[in-house]
Amino acid sequence: MYYYILDPQNLDPGKFERQQVELQGLLAEFKISGEMSRVSSLRTIQDLVETASERGANTLVACGTDDTFNLMLSYLRGRDFTVGFVPLDDQSYLAKILGLDSLHTAAKTIAARRIEKIDLATLGPSYFISYVEFGIGSKKLKNLNWWNSIKALSVPEHKFSIRIDNSYTMDITCLGGIVANTRGSASATSTIANPTDGFLDLLILEKLNKFNILKYKQQVIEGRFEEIPHSSVIKCRKVEFLQPQGFPLTMAGRVFTKIPTSIEIIPRRLKMIVGKNRTF
Amino acid sequence: MDNDNMDSPAETVVGPSVKIQGDLNSEGNIRIEGSVSGKVKTTQSVHVGEAAKLTADIFAGNAVVAGEVQGNLKISSNLILLKTARINGDIACAILRVEDGAQFTGKCAMGGSAPAAGSPAAETKPEARGRGKSGAAEPEPEE
Repeated sequence: MYYYILDPQNLDPGKFERQQVELQGLLAEFKISGEMSRVSSLRTIQDLVETASERGANTLVACGTDDTFNLMLSYLRGRDFTVGFVPLDDQSYLAKILGLDSLHTAAKTIAARRIEKIDLATLGPSYFISYVEFGIGSKKLKNLNWWNSIKALSVPEHKFSIRIDNSYTMDITCLGGIVANTRGSASATSTIANPTDGFLDLLILEKLNKFNILKYKQQVIEGRFEEIPHSSVIKCRKVEFLQPQGFPLTMAGRVFTKIPTSIEIIPRRLKMIVGKNRTF
Repeated sequence: MDNDNMDSPAETVVGPSVKIQGDLNSEGNIRIEGSVSGKVKTTQSVHVGEAAKLTADIFAGNAVVAGEVQGNLKISSNLILLKTARINGDIACAILRVEDGAQFTGKCAMGGSAPAAGSPAAETKPEARGRGKSGAAEPEPEE
């Protein structure tokens, strides 16, 4: 049984209503109708995941923004669902990763049920499949013009202490970085941010001069730090953030947790419905 | 191990601002531009950049050293010391190439199967033909 979680958060209300009607039509057309529940102030995503579990649903589909999917994942807590995603936001990077370029493609993908077992990253009690950022707000940076981009990336560097795989400790002075399971620019041939390789990728961005800020702005936004000179790339299974305490880790512009915290990878843990144009 | 492997992109890159304490293990190529205290281990290649400072033993398939290493190197195949390399420790490798100006103070064992750095078999000194800045033995570059 399919259980659809519709989340109007951060979406234009008028557009959301139109998309909901269109989606219902597509689900009926592809014969994948199921129970559809809308998130409200009284029914959170967590409540709906619990309800889906109680009703015996085996496929859980998040319909909304990347935040909707990330929140849904964080509340799975070990339950054995097959998960899917219907992006209702044109700016969704998960849609790009999963190969879902329209509502029609998303519905068709769910109907096709191409299931890929992908790595699941744990962040404290939560899960994610994309990436978390520290020190750099790529979502904010995306909307800045060149002058404001220079200002945003000319801030003083931060000092981090990070332990890797219980094996060594890194003391880093940098602008920030990301811990990636996968990202929009991931590919099957890429060794970085491949969600089926059983590894996390810690990418560290060092301070850039003004010329390089302009030259590499797109790489910073997309988290492709390995293409920027002097960046660090660490492939690992566990990342423990030790210092500075209280420093925020963000996902899609939202503060997810604060240091101290740790991120681990569980290889091939998540059964995910993916499109044929996925990036990995 | 072959030379092609030494040119392939590094899986692990340690940037200039990074200081590592502990054992850096990798299954792929490693490039170090920062500093490491502990051990560096990979079956593939290690590239130690010019500004890098290692107080570490290196165990690798191949290695190219342009920076400073205080520690032993056990390399199962090719070891290249570039002109800016400064090594204070024992070397064990199969094939060694040293550029003019490289500084090396320590013992060297070479051959088809390189013994572990620091082991009794690694006591043999190379035939010294030149002198480094520190007065240490400096083999001539291989043509």
